[in-house]
Amino acid sequence: MTGMSIRSKLRRSWPGYVFLTPWLIGFFLLSIFPILASLYLAFTDYDAVNAPVWVGFENFQYMFEFDYRFWQSLKVTFLFVILSVPAKLIFALIVAMLLDKGIRAVGWYRALFYLPSILGGSIAVAILWRQLFNADGVINSALAVFGIQGPYWLSDPNYSLYTLVVLAIWQFGSPMLIFLAGLRAIPQDLYEAAEIDAATPSRKFFAITVPMLAPVIFFNLVLQMIEAFKSFSGAFIISGGTGAPLDSLLFFTVYLFNEAFSYFRMGYASALGWVLLVIIAAFTAIAFWTSKYWVHYENERG
Amino acid sequence: MSTFNRRKFLGTAAAAAGSAAILSATGTSAFAQDRRIRHFWWGNPERDKRTFEVIRLFNEKNPGIVVAGETLGSADYFTRLTTQIAGRNMADAIQMGYGVMFEYINRGAILPLDEYIGKSLDISQIDESALSAGRVDGKLYALSIGANSHVSLYNTRLFDAAGISFDPFGWTYDDLKRVAGEVTKATGVFGTDDNTADYQNFSDYVHQRGERLFDDEGNFGASAETIADYFAIWADLRAAGATPPGQVSAGLVGAELSNWGIVTGQTAISYAWSNQMVGVQNLMQDKVGAAMFPNTPEMIPGSIIQPSQFICLSRDTVDAEAATTYMSAFVNDPEMTAVLGLERGIPANAQVRAALQPKLTEIEATSVAFFDGIQGKTMNLAPPPPSGAQEIEAMFERVAVAVLLDQAPIPDVANQIRREAEGIRRRAR
Repeated sequence: MTGMSIRSKLRRSWPGYVFLTPWLIGFFLLSIFPILASLYLAFTDYDAVNAPVWVGFENFQYMFEFDYRFWQSLKVTFLFVILSVPAKLIFALIVAMLLDKGIRAVGWYRALFYLPSILGGSIAVAILWRQLFNADGVINSALAVFGIQGPYWLSDPNYSLYTLVVLAIWQFGSPMLIFLAGLRAIPQDLYEAAEIDAATPSRKFFAITVPMLAPVIFFNLVLQMIEAFKSFSGAFIISGGTGAPLDSLLFFTVYLFNEAFSYFRMGYASALGWVLLVIIAAFTAIAFWTSKYWVHYENERG
Repeated sequence: MSTFNRRKFLGTAAAAAGSAAILSATGTSAFAQDRRIRHFWWGNPERDKRTFEVIRLFNEKNPGIVVAGETLGSADYFTRLTTQIAGRNMADAIQMGYGVMFEYINRGAILPLDEYIGKSLDISQIDESALSAGRVDGKLYALSIGANSHVSLYNTRLFDAAGISFDPFGWTYDDLKRVAGEVTKATGVFGTDDNTADYQNFSDYVHQRGERLFDDEGNFGASAETIADYFAIWADLRAAGATPPGQVSAGLVGAELSNWGIVTGQTAISYAWSNQMVGVQNLMQDKVGAAMFPNTPEMIPGSIIQPSQFICLSRDTVDAEAATTYMSAFVNDPEMTAVLGLERGIPANAQVRAALQPKLTEIEATSVAFFDGIQGKTMNLAPPPPSGAQEIEAMFERVAVAVLLDQAPIPDVANQIRREAEGIRRRAR
């Protein structure tokens, strides 16, 4: 095999490449090209109608020096990531552990719990959420039963972000399924040995489940963090597309969208997009770097 | 253009590929000889129903031209339009509003209509005032599809119950305070929506104070004092319990018609564009009455009469002649305009107006009576708003919410609005 020339390799494998062609075309046309185009546009003044004008670093300079709404959108987005990601993972793990206990019709529950994740990104759910959290919506009606006067969830900037955090937690389905698979992979003899040593449930959880699950937790953490940074449709719908009230729902992506599509600043929006990319890359790198201190793989030697 | 346009290209591509996917994407009539154009508008269920009926009529009367309709709610319309501009696939005929249109004209997204006048486009019956509102630098860019003005809509049942008497064409903010208070006391329904963060009402007030929203150089012209006084009027009403609590009103800024106070029954007065009257009435049991926006005691006119909407030819049109034929029929054809009625405002074609007169519904008659009543009480149309005007409107609605939520003192918010407006204008160049 190793002695084969590139030509004869190609002769043997060309059908593979032929079948790959649609994907390759899609990849270059719909992914690589737009990415490169947006990198170029980030350094231009582009209004979508007229040809882009090169402005160098002006977009970035304006962003960092003058644009307080840029900083506000960063603040909102970070707050959302910090609040929603751990809460969602903890909730997903709890549900996964309950389902792991071999309840009857577990397949149904898995499907049922996964459903919100499928619906999650949809506009319909965001609109539903808006209805639930309205001043006279279902949530406040339920609170009223207990004599509690619920807050104006959506029009009070002190509360609006929490409704979106709850929406994010509700979409725990996909990390839950991954946790479930991870839990199934933990050798049962570890628990049996702990049983003989009379370990408490919490001891079993922290000494066996968490360490054995660490690679899965890490995987879910990185995935959900990226997801949270990019989160858009919920905030867009609930705030009427503007980040209202008082920019409390001005997610980075919502701000980017407004700059691009409401105010004809495609160049500036591209620059914002690249800043988001760098932020996500940096946080992913940090996660990977810290992971060597707490994530261990079974097949690792050392 | 005529030898190899997009439509033909798609037809050829479909034929060559012969693939079911492309066929279904372009529609089977890509093979037929029909000239296909698209009409894109923002609407509501009522308007969409009428417009699709108009398209059906046009297609029936004009074999050879097929119009396809596309519609969205107003909140999403312009973002979709911008996406289409960037993708160079705007519909052929697009709906535009007075506030935003000049932004699109300045950037070159809309084509002038002059070369089609007298050929595929008939403007002989259109009012000169409506035509001039669609002209820039002597070129006609836009056909008015209805005149519009600001209107206070009130629930006549609640007003009767409270025994209100007022002059709908000459009331002041003091009258509003009295009326709203009486309605609240007599019926338990809040007297009025809270317009603290309503840019239309604010813009009227600025002119009623003898100032201009934008001066000749396009600078933001409202003084901090005027902005603060405007907020104070509503703060006063709010404190008197004549409006819903500030936090409720904060959630209704920019809300769709169906969430307005008068529609949900939460308040007795909501503020609108006159062409929204039909839409509001169709969502209500109680009869709707129409009054001007309140004024200051000096009674300087602040309201305007302006085209509610225009129909324009987009830069990306594949068949300008077919598109202008359709646009022409949209404003002139007796059958088609009869279907449209007054839903987009009072038509600019005198013959169309006359033909509609005997067939008006009750709410349409109210809207015509309102237009008769405001004649001579409105100000002249200001010059086209400068670049960035749209962003200033959005900024006002965003920042003013701080007053509704009691998060900042009124003078601070007023100063912030001035500062940000200047920043937006500088950036828009």
